[in-house]
Amino acid sequence: MLKRFIFSFIVFALVAATTCYAQDIRLTGQSKQVVAVGETFTLIYTLNAQGNGFRGPNIQGFDMLSGPNTSTSSSIRSVNGNTTMSITYTFTYLLQATREGTFDIPAASVSVNGKQITSNTLSIKVVKNPNSQGTQYQGSGNQSRGGGGGGTQAAANAGNPNDVFIKAFASSSNPLQGEGIVVTYKIYFKVNISQPYISKLPSFSGFWSPNLAKENDKLQQSTEVIDGVQYTVADIRKIALFPLKSGRLTIDPLELTCVAQVKKQSKTKTGDPFFDDFFNDSFFNSGVANVEKTLKSNPVVINVQPLPEAGKPADFSGAVGSFTFHSEVDKTRVKTNEAVTLKCTVSGKGNIQLIDKMNVSFPPDFESYDPKVTSDVQTTGAGISGSQVFEYLLIPRKAGKFNIKPITFSYFDLEKRRYISLSSPEFSLDVEKGSGESGAVMTYSGANKEEIKYIGSDIRHIKDTGFPLVPAGSRFFNSMGFWALMICPLLLFLVFLVLWRKLAARRSDTILMKNLKATKIARRRLQKAEQFQKAGQQDNFYIAISQSLWGYLSDKFGIPMAELSIDSVHEALVRKNVSEAIISQFIETLNNTEFSRFAPGEKNVNMERIYNEALEIITKMERELR
Amino acid sequence: MKPMKPITIAIIFLFGALAAFSSGEQASIATANKEYSAGSYQAAADLYQKVVDAGYASPELFYNMGNSYFKMNDYARAILWYERARRLDPGNEDINFNLNVANTKISDKIEPLPELFYKRWLIALVQVFSVDTWAAMCVCLFIGGLLGLVLYIASRVLILRKIGFWFALGLFVFSFFALAFAWNGYSFSKSTSEAIVFTPTITVKSSPDEKSTDLFVIHEGTKVRLLDNISGWYEIRIVNGSVGWLPKNSLEKI
Repeated sequence: MLKRFIFSFIVFALVAATTCYAQDIRLTGQSKQVVAVGETFTLIYTLNAQGNGFRGPNIQGFDMLSGPNTSTSSSIRSVNGNTTMSITYTFTYLLQATREGTFDIPAASVSVNGKQITSNTLSIKVVKNPNSQGTQYQGSGNQSRGGGGGGTQAAANAGNPNDVFIKAFASSSNPLQGEGIVVTYKIYFKVNISQPYISKLPSFSGFWSPNLAKENDKLQQSTEVIDGVQYTVADIRKIALFPLKSGRLTIDPLELTCVAQVKKQSKTKTGDPFFDDFFNDSFFNSGVANVEKTLKSNPVVINVQPLPEAGKPADFSGAVGSFTFHSEVDKTRVKTNEAVTLKCTVSGKGNIQLIDKMNVSFPPDFESYDPKVTSDVQTTGAGISGSQVFEYLLIPRKAGKFNIKPITFSYFDLEKRRYISLSSPEFSLDVEKGSGESGAVMTYSGANKEEIKYIGSDIRHIKDTGFPLVPAGSRFFNSMGFWALMICPLLLFLVFLVLWRKLAARRSDTILMKNLKATKIARRRLQKAEQFQKAGQQDNFYIAISQSLWGYLSDKFGIPMAELSIDSVHEALVRKNVSEAIISQFIETLNNTEFSRFAPGEKNVNMERIYNEALEIITKMERELR
Repeated sequence: MKPMKPITIAIIFLFGALAAFSSGEQASIATANKEYSAGSYQAAADLYQKVVDAGYASPELFYNMGNSYFKMNDYARAILWYERARRLDPGNEDINFNLNVANTKISDKIEPLPELFYKRWLIALVQVFSVDTWAAMCVCLFIGGLLGLVLYIASRVLILRKIGFWFALGLFVFSFFALAFAWNGYSFSKSTSEAIVFTPTITVKSSPDEKSTDLFVIHEGTKVRLLDNISGWYEIRIVNGSVGWLPKNSLEKI
């Protein structure tokens, strides 16, 4: 019994605690109880604490248009120094009834401080759609603006969401990278709205977006019927977008705030259907309330296709569209230090403003500056068209003929679906030496002398024809020819040497022979002279004596006849170490031979004396030389 | 008249044949040069190769061949032909320039071992001329020296004899040096064989065996010196002095 009591107590205590807690933190579901088919309504869960992990109910029988959208509001209240803070989380679903019947919406749950809080269940009755529009505004928690301390957040979500909403449309959902698309935001409304302003523009990440449409001052209105309901439609904003990368890109929703005039409804709920109907009649509810609404568009998903890799030119820099390309120089004959302008114009349709530079290269002797870029772009609903002009200012610093290489421009043609390369002609510039001070200064100062600029490096050019070809592996060195050329001259030299030796030997032989024979010849000549003496031929005698003496000297001492004189004989004899006495006697004999011919006295005696003298001196000389 | 010796006949025949063929080869070199200038380097290389296959050699021919391969970005082959050209004409500035350019294009940057200064100078001096140029100079100087000697012996004028003597002495000394240099270059090219790596990446092994230790990795276009060879393997040394073994098929001899 006691046990049972304790158990009951614990159960009671637990239940009490839970209830107590539940009274503190509540998750409350709220919705209209009765809706018409096709009507859009909100299902709101309110949590009076900070929670997370909201798990929505499994909603069946309704189309979920959006949700759960979470909003938070907090308020701090101070009563008698007692400060309490209250926080409210709101999870809102936008539902649309599709068919008649009664539908149960199961409980939602949320986790607060680790505790699971469940909401109440709801039962919604869907009835046939009455034709009158007015009934759609029946009985709900609509609050008018300024309706009290409920806070603006609640007001923002208040009102029938179907009255006014924004939709985003993309002109193409799978464009090519770089292909322009236009995203149009349209506002649909069937109540009067005023003061629309865009509170949040999406950040179009992954796109390049030139501001295409000017802010529309006036909304161009048209009418459109959706699900049998007539709406007024206006374009809020048109934005041209050029995808910068390929893949799945999402454009965030656009947010717009406006004031909607909503029919005012007094909350008179007496519980009596008659009175409710009566007081909620349009007659009594003829007033309208201005409700500030924050509208959110749907996000747009764009699937960007990459550009084909095949045939992509090397100088392709992302231009997509259809373009024409034109370039020109303002003059082709200039003087040094005069400016030349090279103008490149790209015009056409596409992401033209993305073309930020041209593929140009100028001769290194040109001073070039960054181009001046002028764009003249018209933005229309169909996209962007116009022209982009690049003006390059060039100043040739040196005289000569220069060529500016063709400037190329490549783009992807959307219609032809392939890359197209355009190119300018090659410009040739004739730069003459400018007259004037600058040129003169350059010449004298030398300050303008430049280092040679190396533009590129390459191997040297091939050799022209005409070089000798030899059989592979053949070498002159150590070849037979080489050794032949070394040895042949040596052999020739040796032959020469031998011949020269022989020649020299022969020459020296004749001298020796003459030397040996000298006395003999001299004696023979003396004998001849003796015969002339006997015959009394005085002239022949003296000639023979003279020849004998001179010839003896010539032969004996190797002195040629032509070089013979008293002096040369004297010199030769001294060199041979002949004693001075003999030399003087020899010379005396020679002199006597000359003089005796004309000397007075007996001719025969004179001849006899000279003959003896000559014979004596030659004999003496022979003895001396031996 | 004595009957001609067979060797004389052979020499005459050889030179006659050379002259006859050579004109055809010169024509194909001219065509190849035109192809090269027109930018069709493969065609040019093929034509040069034909001349080489016909058994001819010339530093200029090898140089042109190297240029063709260089233009086709085949740097290993370009280096091979430049090195072959350099063997024939080590002092040629154009060959050395292009070889240096080609060597900057390959992946391996190996610091060569520093040589002693006099060795470096000697090598530089020997490499000023090709072996054959040194040999020709040697022959000319030798003949000049002999003529000087003849002048010394034959002349009766004292001053001419003196000139002849010193002239002969100087020329003989120079001739001797030329012979020495020629011999040096000749024996170097005979004794050292070098090769170019033709495999994009190859690991040098510690012994002639696939399973041996990996020592270091070298790449296409690197020059190696061959030290030894054992059944399909070469022992190699790279310029920084490291030694290892490589399979024969990864190399092309210069």
